[in-house]
Amino acid sequence: MTHVSLKDLTKVYPGSKVPSLDRLSLEIPTGELTALLGPSGCGKTTTMKMIAGLLTPTSGDVTFDDRSILREKPEHRGVVMVFQNYLLFPYMSVADNIGFGLKMRKVDKSEIDRRVGEMLDLVKLPDLGKRRPSELSGGQQQRVALARALIVQPKVLLLDEPLSNLDAHLRFEMRDLIRSLQQEMGITTIFVTHDQEEAVVLADKVALILDGRLCQYDHADVFYKRPANEAVARFFGGQNFIPGQSSGTAFDSALGQLALPQNAITGKGTLTFRPENVKIGPSQTNGLTAILEDRIYLGTQTRLRLRVGETMVEAIANPDEVGDFEVGGPVPIHLPPQALWVLQ
Amino acid sequence: MSDRLKIFLLLAPALTAIIVLFMGGLGIGLARSLNYMPVIGLVDPNFDAYVTVFTSQEFYLSFLLTLHISVTSTVLSSILAIGAALLLRRQFIGRAIINFLFQLNLTVPHLVGAIGILYLFSQSGSFARLAAEWGMISRPGDFPALVFDPYAIGIILQYVWKEVPFIGVILLANMQALGEDYESVARSLGANRWQAFRHVLLPLIFPGLLSASVMVFAFTFGAYEIPAILGPNYPAALPVLAYRKYTDVDLEARPEAMAMAIVIALLSALMIFLYVRISRRNIRS
Repeated sequence: MTHVSLKDLTKVYPGSKVPSLDRLSLEIPTGELTALLGPSGCGKTTTMKMIAGLLTPTSGDVTFDDRSILREKPEHRGVVMVFQNYLLFPYMSVADNIGFGLKMRKVDKSEIDRRVGEMLDLVKLPDLGKRRPSELSGGQQQRVALARALIVQPKVLLLDEPLSNLDAHLRFEMRDLIRSLQQEMGITTIFVTHDQEEAVVLADKVALILDGRLCQYDHADVFYKRPANEAVARFFGGQNFIPGQSSGTAFDSALGQLALPQNAITGKGTLTFRPENVKIGPSQTNGLTAILEDRIYLGTQTRLRLRVGETMVEAIANPDEVGDFEVGGPVPIHLPPQALWVLQ
Repeated sequence: MSDRLKIFLLLAPALTAIIVLFMGGLGIGLARSLNYMPVIGLVDPNFDAYVTVFTSQEFYLSFLLTLHISVTSTVLSSILAIGAALLLRRQFIGRAIINFLFQLNLTVPHLVGAIGILYLFSQSGSFARLAAEWGMISRPGDFPALVFDPYAIGIILQYVWKEVPFIGVILLANMQALGEDYESVARSLGANRWQAFRHVLLPLIFPGLLSASVMVFAFTFGAYEIPAILGPNYPAALPVLAYRKYTDVDLEARPEAMAMAIVIALLSALMIFLYVRISRRNIRS
């Protein structure tokens, strides 16, 4: 049960002028599962290593329950980090790998055996204790790495890209396992990923870091509905950005005048809406006529490139809805006001 | 052409050299050690030479000295090489230069190094003279005997000087390939610095360390020139003893020399076997 806070955490690597991480402040409540999301090189792994004590911050602080931990050695912080490539010790059996942390704490051999057995059951690998890591599949290695971390009952668990090395079907299995273990043990968990899908699927809250700076820290759905700025929206797959003027209730732009949802900002801004929120068919509200420039069939959906006047609009639709429209011909579309969001 | 044949043909030149030169030499040596030399009329093989070898006290003293030289040199070089590799894998200013200096004596021949040691450490060498000059000892002859001494300190010094960079370079490459993440994992699981080294890094670099140190062991066990230059006269290291027998004016001593050479070969094989076993058991369990 540990509340983690990062206060203006900054890291400038020797010989570099640009900080790899620039004044990151985050509050991670007890028992929550938080994602640090960002492209590679954005400073998220650096953040993890500073929390784990494997790197020293240039400035700023890390506190657990309001107590700074920066002076504590890595082995005394109660933070365990699970690396992306698992890093199981290749010369040890699975059971010895899992029991490693207890052995380092000089726990009794019989006690270690008992708890390793429990852990193997927990991660659903009851019969594999005697195997070598090289004899396991990627998914199994991931479970062993997780078991090896959880057996020491860490205050804070750090996961580096926990799902990215797994096949699609294993991802959901592992997601469920991580979530259920994390909830059961109530461990404050932080994981880093470059994959927005992984972040959304796994985390309670997501912190998006771009170029070493925190861009937005929110529940996952907010990133899709109300992104903080264009960079955030683009990172989450946003493609439609239309400059114009907001009156608070309507938006004037090259697309004409569009009705806005309540509480929209006023003044100069950029209108954004997600491709999947562009609806096919005519409507009284925010109805437009577009020319179909291109269409790409993707199986469960169809991607459309539309042109309204001189403005390009990207849309994703159900293949059934767009069956008859031909490239070069007109398509009636509308943009529901609640799907619109104005960026400053 | 089948793969097997292809592999055989590709290996043929190396195999020929090994079989003809190495096995051939060993075969002739074995024959002579058994007093079998048809050219001079000896056609009834016997074990007389081996009996002479195994009943002489000098042989056992020489064996102990040789074992002491190889074990001490190998262990010391390995420990120092690990330390050096641990330092050199870090990032620091001037690392490239230090690394270069560290590897420099890989290029210096053993013989040259041995003569250097002789000049520096013998009782008439530079250090003895300096120590006498600065009044630390009353005359150079009082300088502790580090060369031609019964503990073979000069020999071990020379081997360590030469072999630390050899093992170190292999370990450094090994460590750089591994990175530091395994140790980070160990630290975050609760291992302190020493535990992370002992239980994670050491076992991981162990295969490299073992092959490098076995080479050092085998070399120091069977090498002639360094103990010949820096070693005590009695007991002499085994290879020195064998060579002395071989060049004895008495031709009768030749089978004995050969017997000794064969015994050295067998002993070093046995020692390597034991060394590998013992270190495997202790490092990786």
